[in-house]
Amino acid sequence: MIEPGRRHLHIAVHVIAIAGLLLVALTGRIAYRTARAFPEYALWVAHEYEGGAEADAAMRERAGRVDGAVRRVGWFLTITVGLSLALLVTSHVMLVREISRREHIERALNDANRELESFSYSVSHDLRAPLRSIDGFSQALVEDVGPQLPPDAVSHLDRIRHATRRMGLLIDELMALSKVARVEMKRERIDLSDVAEQVVAELRRQQPAREVDITIAPGLQATADAPLVRLALQNLIENAWKFSSRRDGSTIEVGQMRDANGAPAFFVRDNGAGFDPDYAHKLFGPFQRLHSVAEFPGTGIGLATVQRIVHRHGGRVWAEGRMNSGATFYFTLG
Amino acid sequence: MNEILLVEDNPDDVELTLRAFRKSNIANEIVVARDGVEALDYLFSTGAHAGRPPTLPQVVLLDLKLPRIDGLHVLERVRAHPRTRLLPIVVLTSSIEEQDLVNTYSRGANSYIRKPVDFQEFVDAVRQLGLYWLLLNQPPPPPMPT
Repeated sequence: MIEPGRRHLHIAVHVIAIAGLLLVALTGRIAYRTARAFPEYALWVAHEYEGGAEADAAMRERAGRVDGAVRRVGWFLTITVGLSLALLVTSHVMLVREISRREHIERALNDANRELESFSYSVSHDLRAPLRSIDGFSQALVEDVGPQLPPDAVSHLDRIRHATRRMGLLIDELMALSKVARVEMKRERIDLSDVAEQVVAELRRQQPAREVDITIAPGLQATADAPLVRLALQNLIENAWKFSSRRDGSTIEVGQMRDANGAPAFFVRDNGAGFDPDYAHKLFGPFQRLHSVAEFPGTGIGLATVQRIVHRHGGRVWAEGRMNSGATFYFTLG
Repeated sequence: MNEILLVEDNPDDVELTLRAFRKSNIANEIVVARDGVEALDYLFSTGAHAGRPPTLPQVVLLDLKLPRIDGLHVLERVRAHPRTRLLPIVVLTSSIEEQDLVNTYSRGANSYIRKPVDFQEFVDAVRQLGLYWLLLNQPPPPPMPT
């Protein structure tokens, strides 16, 4: 919505400008009349007091010149003021139309957002209920009649349960992704190095057995929405952590560089599984995966989330990598 | 030992919840209400439950999405009535939308549990819930007879 305060300010500026121009036109008119009266007066003086046809003729000629000049200035003033008035009125009308057009669009957008929200709500609520039934009753079968079932049947039931839980996870992550697009943003100064340290500490706590050499450049500053950027960084670092898990001596580096245009960009680099650069454009699509779930677990939502967060900040995200020789993810925050 | 009131419209969820209680060796009687109206009738001894002695369940497990009167309204009505305002109410639902959390807690729900898809996790949740609300938690004193 355009704030009412600003709209009033726009209208007030226009009203003042129009009133000012009217005043200029009015005073111009008075000055013009006064100036035109002046040669008449001069002529009268020449005739009455100085006398003689000579003085009279010279005066008459001079009065004619003055009168012509005054007339030109008068026309000039009238045309300028008229044009300015027309311009102001037109721009005022256009402004009002633009405001109402924008309000119309914003209303439609708000409606669409509300609809989307209630849609997401039913998706998360109603799609999960049947999944619970499938999982619950599959397990009930295994528990109640498992011993009588042929081993194949038990394995099939296991597969059903596995797929169900995975779909539950996908729904949750999809909902989280749509929330990233909806949540309100508040930009503030944040220390990305701090955030990265916290993410790493959490990973080390979850998997204390893993040895990863992690370097985080100190003092990485950004003006961005803290929870969203935290989520983006968390996804990137968790990816680096995950995709470097199948090699000895994993290293992860978080730092800052300048992109091709000299703008500052942050990066998260690992020496893990990397990716085939031919498919780099697929990295950021939701549910796109360049490795099998068996090789590296996951849903393929993480980088889509990162991209959405970066785009909401007006930034760019891109990746460099090669098969089996690590990947680097770069992003800017607008 | 008082009963548990389970307010749930999905028959599969009812069946699974009852199964989870059985597997957790929770022996309290479980009364099932299929929508908000039935739940309120049970609690206030009205309608289909007119004439029921005015005892209260030990805990109410309340789904939010319910036919006729939804969970939030049940919660409001229960909290508004002096006889039931202290009754422990555990919201048991699919959603973890922020609006649902805020709405239920601000209307005086005692706890909020999301039903997991994984049945094993659900059984664990029900076991802990039973242990906490039926054994550990000291219930509010029974209401004065009116």
